[in-house]
Amino acid sequence: MSLLSVRGLRVEAAGEPILNGLDLDVAAGEVHAVMGPNGAGKSTLANVLAGHPGFDVTAGSMAMAGEDLGERSPEERAHLGLFLAFQYPVEIPGVSNMEFLKAAVDAQAKQAGQEAPPAVDFIRRTRQAADQLGLDAAFLKRGVNEGFSGGEKKRNEILQMLLLAPKLAVLDETDSGLDIDALKVVADGINAFRSADNGVLLVTHYQRLLNYVVPDHVHVLAGGRIVRSGDSSLAHRLEAEGYAWIDG
Amino acid sequence: MPGSTADATALAQRLLHEDGPGYASWRGRRRYRQAIANIGLPQHRSEAWRHTNIGRWYQAACVASEQQAAGTADEAGAVTGPADVQVADFGEAEVQALAEAHLGTTVALARQPLAAVNALLLETGFVAHVPPGTHSEPVRIGPLAGRFQHLLVVVAAGAEVTLLEEAAGYAHRFVEIVIGNGARVEHRRRQAGSTTHECSLLGVRVAEHGRYALAQSCRGAALRRNDVEIQLAGGAEATVTSAWRLAEEEHLDNQVAVHHLAPGGRSRQTYRGVVGGQARAIIDGHIHIAAGANGTDAALSTKNLIADSRAAVFAKPVLEIHASDVRCAHGATVGTLDEAAIHYLRSRGIDERAARELLVRGFLREAAADAEGQALLGLAA
Repeated sequence: MSLLSVRGLRVEAAGEPILNGLDLDVAAGEVHAVMGPNGAGKSTLANVLAGHPGFDVTAGSMAMAGEDLGERSPEERAHLGLFLAFQYPVEIPGVSNMEFLKAAVDAQAKQAGQEAPPAVDFIRRTRQAADQLGLDAAFLKRGVNEGFSGGEKKRNEILQMLLLAPKLAVLDETDSGLDIDALKVVADGINAFRSADNGVLLVTHYQRLLNYVVPDHVHVLAGGRIVRSGDSSLAHRLEAEGYAWIDG
Repeated sequence: MPGSTADATALAQRLLHEDGPGYASWRGRRRYRQAIANIGLPQHRSEAWRHTNIGRWYQAACVASEQQAAGTADEAGAVTGPADVQVADFGEAEVQALAEAHLGTTVALARQPLAAVNALLLETGFVAHVPPGTHSEPVRIGPLAGRFQHLLVVVAAGAEVTLLEEAAGYAHRFVEIVIGNGARVEHRRRQAGSTTHECSLLGVRVAEHGRYALAQSCRGAALRRNDVEIQLAGGAEATVTSAWRLAEEEHLDNQVAVHHLAPGGRSRQTYRGVVGGQARAIIDGHIHIAAGANGTDAALSTKNLIADSRAAVFAKPVLEIHASDVRCAHGATVGTLDEAAIHYLRSRGIDERAARELLVRGFLREAAADAEGQALLGLAA
């Protein structure tokens, strides 16, 4: 059974069709990249999977490990093991990053019928993960994403992914706005996360992240549908030739 | 609905002509009667009371609860402090000189006519004298017996002290704080949720280079009104930080005025409120800078969150500046919880209710810094 199974997905926003019958399967142990020109619907796909309220699913289905996502709230999707790294992480002044991460980890434990992890263990794990991403301890005390640089916001998304250890991580343009050093740090984080038990869906406009996180499958999204799929060589061809040769 | 005009008139007549079972005749009543006769009592819809129906307070506090016990001995707290802080009842001879020198000097009756009502109906009065030096133990002002209460705290020049005030359960409480040269006072005031009708008046006079900081955490009441008047001499400083959280049909009206009377003063007012249910919050922050008070640095920030479409917030900054060389900044916002932030939190598995609570906590924390204030507002992590 696929970790993620999307069938004939049609999505509108404010009455405008964006996705027009999209099919996609991600199995455990796989990394998929969805590429495409601006406006193709890449971010819509990522956000619809996570249950963003701004979109209407008009047809088709989305399921994780056989569980239909369509009617589920964003938190229920998270409880099923779905994680979205936001393209534009939201700033939450007054709520410290540590408090936010603890709330998320505790909510996950509660949902799984477990005790919240002891604070000491949580703090140690969080510091380790932050360290791995080159984020110092002071970063955890600041307000969530408040005044973070673009690179810090993206690294903070990866930090959350590492702590929550989802079954499927959807990364929406996580490479945008990163300099080459930050890109490598983020890629290392994603590679550390990859395992035979989970899946990764990279949504990206550019190929450069894929130099560091090598995908098993590459899909081209255009006109609201997957118009071509292949292995990582497809990404290289897109990088060299652009999207113009894809005829939709 | 009670006709507030009739209530005000009836009460005024009574105060002018009856010597009720009030406090000891420790002070002449004439001055207060004169003030009431001259200016009258506040009426509903008068400018200072446009969002709070004072008629309900007249009814509840001055008429309806006359028959109620003024508070049992068990409920009654006291004013306590370190051994060297002198605390005495208004009636006691040892504090007469202090009382004579300072009572009623922190507010103008013309601006605060309820101070005259308080004086004429007074049931409980305390004077506390804080001598010079640093006092690590706070002065505690608990819930007190008596519906009309007056407290005077005189802080000697150079002294440092913390006041912890539990403010609830009265009809009218008048707290006066007189702060000597260079003295520092930190005043933490907590107002628990209540079904009562309460008005308080806080008058603070800060002498040169003194510092006063008020940190107030409030829940609502059936009617709760807090008037605060702070006068700053040259180089004096005031910080007012207030956070509130209202639900159901609670009502909270905060009227704060900082008067910069001389050069070189500094003041900061920070208000953060969350209003849910059908509750109603009013926050008027005033900055008055007198002629000649050059070099004044004043700022006021009000931010309000409306957590329910039936809730209401009235926020008005008022600036009155009669000096030229001053810095004065102000801002007021009223908004709702950020839906994008709620979605972000929910996408991390945090349910909607907990997500909203987390945002409220983050919002209020800025103005509810101490643990007890946070606990009162239900913000404990």
